Amino acid sequence: MKRLLLLLSVFIASAVLVACGGDGTGEPAAGTDDNEDVGEPQDGGSVTGTLKEAPGGVFNPIFYTDMYEEKLLELTHEGLVVQNEELDFDALLAKDWEINEEQTEVTFELEEDVTWHDGEPFTADDVVFTYQTLMDPAYTSSGGLRTIFVEPLLNYEAYKDGETEEYEAVVAEDDYTVTFKFDEPNPNLLYFASFPIIPEHVFESVPIEEMTESTYSLDPEEVVGTGPFEFSSMVERESYEMEKYEDYWQGEPHLDKIVWKVVDESVQVGLLESGDLDFIASPSDIPEGDLEDVEMNDDINVIKQTDFTVQVLGFKLNHRTSSDVQNNVIDPENWEENEKVANQKVRQAIAHAVNRQGIIDGLNFGVGELVETPIPQQFEAHNSEDANQYPFDPEKAEEILDEEGYVDVTGDGFREDPDGNEWVLNFNYSSKGKHERTGPIIAEQLEDVGIKVNARQPKEFSAFLEDIEKDNSDWDLYLIGWGLNHRDPDPSEVWSIKTPYNYARWNNEEADDLLKKAMHGEEAFDEDFREDVYTEWQQEFSKDLPEIILYAEESLWAHNKRLQGIDPLPYTMYHNAHLWWVND
Amino acid sequence: MLFLLTVIIFGLAQAAPGDPFTANIDPSVDPEVYEQQREKYGLNDSLPKQYISWLGNFVTGDFGESIHYKGRSVKDVISVRITNTVYLSLFALIITILFAIPIGLYSARNPYSWFDYTATTFGFLGLSIPGFFFGLVSIYIFALNLGWFPSQGSVSVSVSGQTGITLFLDRLHHLVLPGFTLGLAGIATYMRYVRTEVSDVLKSDYVRTARAKGMSESSVLYKHTLRNALIPIVTLLGFELGVLLSGAVITEQVFNYPGLGTLFVDSITNRDYPVIMAINLLLGTTIMVGNLVADILYSIVDPRIRYD
Repeated sequence: MKRLLLLLSVFIASAVLVACGGDGTGEPAAGTDDNEDVGEPQDGGSVTGTLKEAPGGVFNPIFYTDMYEEKLLELTHEGLVVQNEELDFDALLAKDWEINEEQTEVTFELEEDVTWHDGEPFTADDVVFTYQTLMDPAYTSSGGLRTIFVEPLLNYEAYKDGETEEYEAVVAEDDYTVTFKFDEPNPNLLYFASFPIIPEHVFESVPIEEMTESTYSLDPEEVVGTGPFEFSSMVERESYEMEKYEDYWQGEPHLDKIVWKVVDESVQVGLLESGDLDFIASPSDIPEGDLEDVEMNDDINVIKQTDFTVQVLGFKLNHRTSSDVQNNVIDPENWEENEKVANQKVRQAIAHAVNRQGIIDGLNFGVGELVETPIPQQFEAHNSEDANQYPFDPEKAEEILDEEGYVDVTGDGFREDPDGNEWVLNFNYSSKGKHERTGPIIAEQLEDVGIKVNARQPKEFSAFLEDIEKDNSDWDLYLIGWGLNHRDPDPSEVWSIKTPYNYARWNNEEADDLLKKAMHGEEAFDEDFREDVYTEWQQEFSKDLPEIILYAEESLWAHNKRLQGIDPLPYTMYHNAHLWWVND
Repeated sequence: MLFLLTVIIFGLAQAAPGDPFTANIDPSVDPEVYEQQREKYGLNDSLPKQYISWLGNFVTGDFGESIHYKGRSVKDVISVRITNTVYLSLFALIITILFAIPIGLYSARNPYSWFDYTATTFGFLGLSIPGFFFGLVSIYIFALNLGWFPSQGSVSVSVSGQTGITLFLDRLHHLVLPGFTLGLAGIATYMRYVRTEVSDVLKSDYVRTARAKGMSESSVLYKHTLRNALIPIVTLLGFELGVLLSGAVITEQVFNYPGLGTLFVDSITNRDYPVIMAINLLLGTTIMVGNLVADILYSIVDPRIRYD
């Protein structure tokens, strides 16, 4: 469950409509130009968007691998439900639903006049087909990655392992009624039903092993969805063209065309300002340094909102043994505690020693938000206020370190550990995004309070990741960015004990129990209860500090004002695209 | 030679840390799924085993399947891109020849003139400005400010599906900036070579003799001087072919030109081993073939040279 994208920290997403910023003329920058008289929507016209890297080319929601493919597919394919501004699930292809008392079944009533791009009607069988494919034994072996959407469904394990042929997880009651059944009660059933649906009549003749090679996935003209736009053509790695789907069930889109161009990051802003591009939005962003320039431009509207990515400074609290690394075992029983950062107070002192606001202002041109906990602010469950606060306070940091016995006994200007031994923290980070520049700043700030830091040569991201996972090493500190799940606040994918992505190897059972409590049991169906549990978890997190949250990123998107009707959601700008129009 | 190349290429590709799945890691994905994929692509086998199976397929013309571009063979992925790079390289080569020879020739005939000095200055500038920088500057001036040329890609969306002269002109239009960027260093280098060679030859005895015979100046220049002066340059052009293909990596990146270079960089980032190794071998082979061609050309332009 809980989908997190280990972020290539350069990318930013979005959040609560914190309508800050504002462009040069002082109007609110976020959202649409509600307060401007732009007239009635007009039909026709085309807009050009940008991708800074080319999509891999598999235009199939169940097999895509990169975020460029994912974003393009947001316009062509739809799920039964979709998240709204508050991140609650709203109706999309399903117009209504009912959840049984035990929270183990949800029955959807589907929209009846939805057709696929090729004119065939959309029915419950398509939903069953999509989910059955995701659970098929051949799915993961054919390169499929999206099993999180089906893991809690009824008999997933047995069906996936081929132990049973009987498929009962998603059942079509009639053409327009479909029921999802789960193994256990689950507080967020709708999440699992939000996966984009693919057409059965197109793919039924294609064996799952061949789906990624099929022209229905690779050839834009053959890609079929239910969304407002359909792929029409592409020049591979250069441009991708979408045409409106005239029979779109929510009404014919205003725009005739959306064209996507692959443009190098360094020239995107220039092309936006010259009018060659109409919008830059996720997964691309306006570079922070160009923000002021773009805001000054009267033709351009900037959308600035909180993102789901957090940048963290982590502590390697435990290391795995070499044999565990070798055998790919994650067993907290065998972990070896890293004494150098084992003292909670020391970690708190380090948090006070790092000037996070200074990093946001100095390195990020003021873009970024200070938070103390990793649950995204866009969720009600986020609670920074009741967590421990770590304002920049080097004196306090020194005080704590002194109290804990980390004092300079040798007179070299650096503190020794309480036993008087040399105390050097090894600090590793990658060359990706801003890490390469954040690293030395943090190292310097720690040395200012007398902590000796051995900052290692930054490695390329892939190499860095391999090292951080194989943690039978001498690492103490590291930098990483986490793109967090926008579908559910549950942080266990990164911060529960046994997940491999718990790079800190944080072994706090109290915190782990809270995470379980928030997901299982009847109480968890109560939203307030879940929020309380998460508040407690966040307090524990901020006290124990396996990772210091440096800042939450903000997404910076922009569009030319000729493009109207933009209605961004916290996690995407590609929302209600059938209502987009241009006033030429 | 090629065999040695395969060993080196395979070794280097495998020595890079990470694998195709660490590059795109996603915590929502069960690590078991990645493990399954590694197994499928044989990444867990021992290195010699992987090498032998790769080489075995390679020899039979099977370059394998791309890991990143799912469901596509390496051959398919590369062949789409290679035409673009060939266009770009040829264009750059033609520009190099068209500019370098006349400028070099003129400079040599009028040494220490204002033209010669200007050309020399530009030559040094051209050599010392890195390609990506020149590329960005030219995008800024000619694409963003003046709007004369497109800055990105190899073809406009509007002409996709068309053929014939429209497509050709559109492609040519897209080639101008990257072509000049790629050709710049070449122009600067060859201009200097041509100038040096020509002025050497001009001072030689047989040119003096030719002039003494009363031959026309153009005949002296083109028949006697240029032909002799070009001999070493032809050899260099042979090398240039390989250099152009590999040099296109950076230029293609700046202009987002969908050729071999961008594919190469993308594949390295994604650790798409089969594609990386195929491109490397291709570049290696091109340089070897380029040298061979140069040797053959050498014997054509210079009849004194014969290979036994």
